Amino acid sequence: MANDEKTPRAYLYSDTEPSEEQTKRLEAFLERTYRQVIPLRWTQSPGIKDGFRLEVGSDVYDWTLEGRVRQFQERLNRIDNSEQSVIPLIRRVVNEFQPTVEREEKGEAIFVGDEIARVRGLPGVQYGEVVEFANGVHGMVQDLREDSVGCVLFGANGDVAEGSIVKRTGRTAGMPVGIRFLGRVVNALGEPIDGKGAIEHDAYRPIEVAAPGILDRSAVNRPLETGILCIDSMFPIGRGQRELIIGDRQTGKTAIAIDTIINQNRRNVICIYCAIGQKASSVAQIAANLEAHGALQHTIIVSACASDPAAEQYIAPYAATALGEHFMNTGRDVLIVYDDLSKHAIAYRALSLLLERSPGREAYPGDVFYLHSRLLERSAHLSEELGGGSMTALPIIETQAGDVSAYIPTNVISITDGQIYLESNLFFSGQRPAVNVGLSVSRVGGAAQTKAMKQSAGSLRIDLAQFREMEAFTQFSSDLDEVTKRQLVYGQGLMRLLRQDQYKPFSQHRMVILLIAALNHTMENIPIDDLLKYREALLDSLEGKYADICRRLDRNGKLLDRDKDLLLKEAKDFAARWLHDGGAAAEAGEQEENADGER
Amino acid sequence: MTTGTIVQVAGPVVDVRFDPGQLPRIREVVIAVLDGAERVMEVSQHIGGDVVRCVMLAGSEGLYRGMNVTAPGRTIMVPVGEATLGRMFNVLGDPIDGGEEIGPGTERMSIYRPAPAFSELTPSVEILETGIKVIDLLEPYARGGKIGLFGGAGVGKTVLIQELIHNVAMEHDGYSIFTGVGERSREGNDLWHEMQESGVIGKTALVFGQMNESPGVRMRVPLSGLTMAEYFRDREHRDVLLFIDNIFRFVQAGSEISTLLGRMPSAVGYQPTLAGEMGELQERITSTENGSITSVQAVYVPADDLTDPATATTFSHLDATTVLSRKIVEEGIYPAVDPLESMSRILQADTVGEEHYRTARTVQEILQKYRELQDIIAILGMDELSDADRLTVYRARKIKRFLSQPFHVAEKFTGVSGAYVKLEDTLKGFGAIIAGDMDNVPEAAFYNVGTIDDALAKAKTLGET
Repeated sequence: MANDEKTPRAYLYSDTEPSEEQTKRLEAFLERTYRQVIPLRWTQSPGIKDGFRLEVGSDVYDWTLEGRVRQFQERLNRIDNSEQSVIPLIRRVVNEFQPTVEREEKGEAIFVGDEIARVRGLPGVQYGEVVEFANGVHGMVQDLREDSVGCVLFGANGDVAEGSIVKRTGRTAGMPVGIRFLGRVVNALGEPIDGKGAIEHDAYRPIEVAAPGILDRSAVNRPLETGILCIDSMFPIGRGQRELIIGDRQTGKTAIAIDTIINQNRRNVICIYCAIGQKASSVAQIAANLEAHGALQHTIIVSACASDPAAEQYIAPYAATALGEHFMNTGRDVLIVYDDLSKHAIAYRALSLLLERSPGREAYPGDVFYLHSRLLERSAHLSEELGGGSMTALPIIETQAGDVSAYIPTNVISITDGQIYLESNLFFSGQRPAVNVGLSVSRVGGAAQTKAMKQSAGSLRIDLAQFREMEAFTQFSSDLDEVTKRQLVYGQGLMRLLRQDQYKPFSQHRMVILLIAALNHTMENIPIDDLLKYREALLDSLEGKYADICRRLDRNGKLLDRDKDLLLKEAKDFAARWLHDGGAAAEAGEQEENADGER
Repeated sequence: MTTGTIVQVAGPVVDVRFDPGQLPRIREVVIAVLDGAERVMEVSQHIGGDVVRCVMLAGSEGLYRGMNVTAPGRTIMVPVGEATLGRMFNVLGDPIDGGEEIGPGTERMSIYRPAPAFSELTPSVEILETGIKVIDLLEPYARGGKIGLFGGAGVGKTVLIQELIHNVAMEHDGYSIFTGVGERSREGNDLWHEMQESGVIGKTALVFGQMNESPGVRMRVPLSGLTMAEYFRDREHRDVLLFIDNIFRFVQAGSEISTLLGRMPSAVGYQPTLAGEMGELQERITSTENGSITSVQAVYVPADDLTDPATATTFSHLDATTVLSRKIVEEGIYPAVDPLESMSRILQADTVGEEHYRTARTVQEILQKYRELQDIIAILGMDELSDADRLTVYRARKIKRFLSQPFHVAEKFTGVSGAYVKLEDTLKGFGAIIAGDMDNVPEAAFYNVGTIDDALAKAKTLGET
């Protein structure tokens, strides 16, 4: 109840002066509601044709025609059509509609600036509620003080002025969600920005919800294939896992995320790409690339660009997650990319400092860990009872000069289930994707790898880590023994084989063949500069010869010992032929063999 | 039971006005009911004008000014005793395992209790075998002692703590309490299922306040777990194992709300009360003449900075510290324990015995020598070293590799089965390397194996290929 002012005044607005009897009834109503006698003052307002408007302190009773129409609209909007068809529901609302006298609260902006507004009034407003300013700009309540309310603004703050009237909406910040968002680009409030028209939504979800609890989850045990050899073999990602992609700018972080989205074509995974604080042209480029590779139809892009208010950048990942949860809760598998959370932390730092909360390490507010932990904890593999859906998160963090030990990077590393660390040295030396094998890790993905992959990838990661250490140790030594030399050549070969171009995902069988061939030392004698050419030739050859094994691998991810032996033997033979004939000849011979008709 | 109204909300900090003389005391709970669900907060300060400042133990969304709240006149009370075993709780002591409610017949204790008196304390001197070579050799843990596992993000603290649960809690015939503070919910799920499979759940209680929960929860949940452990120590005179993953999150949660409580920030933005809060908690985790609490606490090192105030404050409370290092992770050596940074108070000749002491110190000397030589090697290469130095380098590289070990809990990811190495085998193995008996065995043989016999067996297979 609004009794924050000692003697509230009541103002009545209507076209015609109220009769004495009407005035009496209104005064009786006021006395009943506010338990004190409040004098009524009438102001003529010709704009109000039918009915009246009564303002008491910060409460408003709207009995104008517009007010009643609005009430009716709101009632219709509140229809929940998730369970049955909408027509009978509408009919019921129309039949049952009775306009009622409803108290509405209003407030008034007393300070506006730096995307923040401070409002007097709105006595019953809830923490986290969305409020609406006179000109349609929305804000979210982030601070409830005894005498005022602090909100962050979505939209240009030039449109809000001191004295602007503010109204409650009665709901916490939310996001329209639905299947029709697929293939679209929306902003942090769920409004389309791709010029393809309005999006019909299925439901409306709050952007902040509690993450699934401990027993709402089940273990991560199904793979999410990225199609990138070095990731799927050494740092496998499972559905429901959070795997951080971290590295300096221009090291191919986004490329890995986009490749992963493209590799989900026809795998029935819904992808969400959330751009935070990026330039709009990059986002447009990404949308175009996804479309060109046929991946946009299963993808939603949520974008809060660098020019959007900090408040929108702050809520964008939560809004994108709400969209993802809508699908996860219906048993679907979702992949969500946050590009990137460093800029998200910066946007939140700006807001916090403007709300006068004191700064900590690197001037970030104390709760910057909670900012990301409560976001990323919402990605999960749900238990069977909850439908078994999953949301896999690929957050991206940009480091400065390769420093993974900075505050925000270590925060996010300590939240995620592993990280893929990209290094600019590797990138520029041609090793792309530029994954640093030593510092990258996947804590849970191993349990989600297919049997075939686990069997064939074996000790690749440990071999490479040892190779790197050996390389550093021996770089100035002149007399290396034969064993060490072989180990070094082997390691260099493996690194070369892990190179992979963008937009060229490998299927499961290609990865398995390569790993079997490489880890069994069949390629040791191929000169390192020919390796990539050799890789293609080998894959073409084996794919042609053992198409049935390849199909089986792709289908159920199992590798029979018999099949493995066949593949290995053929890989050895192929290497022998290649070395014997020189590269070109082996390829030519291969084509003939294919013509013989293995299939 | 008194009632008040909310007057102000700033994130997780809420001000509530009560009638004069009816104010709940500091640390008592205040309850708001929203949509039929209780939201608990805890009184933190009396700020004048009959207003108390509270910290939310739930989200603040949906609270409004003028909302009525009640104060039942008690602090947070958690259930204690046998009824807690095999169960999983939240910070308030409510079960979150989907099982039946804790009945009113179960005793509950306040989570605020004084630390044991000085006269009750007993020093710990007996070694606690963990089956992990690097720990047993270089920083042996003491029964009834306090152990810290320090490490930055992603260097393997949680895996190490889980291996310790596997190796120690299984063998241990007493009870164990696991407290998850601000860590991943997924890990909670994994742990719950693993404990059920191994059967250790029957003598374990779990308490969780994970990273998706509000700072108030993360700040109080260590006390909830500790209270359950104290009951077994003080009332039932038992030896209890207490695992806390991760104690840093407790400090971090305190700093998240410190400025909102109106305190000035201290170094690196931490709360001015950091040392006091930590001391109050840590002094309760101790062994007395009644019973013992052996605690293993993971300590996150923010930004890999061991001088961070939270980390530095924790150091002084511990009997043994195991420091995990990112550099060692990069070399592919797990557990990534830094053998020269880690230490234990009981690594003394009269506690662990002359042989153990000498072996451990010699290993450290060799590693230290290797570290000094590394710069020379990097610039000039191995060829420039004297024969004696070269021998030291080769032995040191073998020792480094032999300090790695496959873990049981990592089996399903690595496919390598875990190894438990008895202390005597550990001493025998390192003794052999130091003595030069292993100079002819290739260094790759020592990598990721259990005992020295395993290494010799591996050397054979290496020779064959």
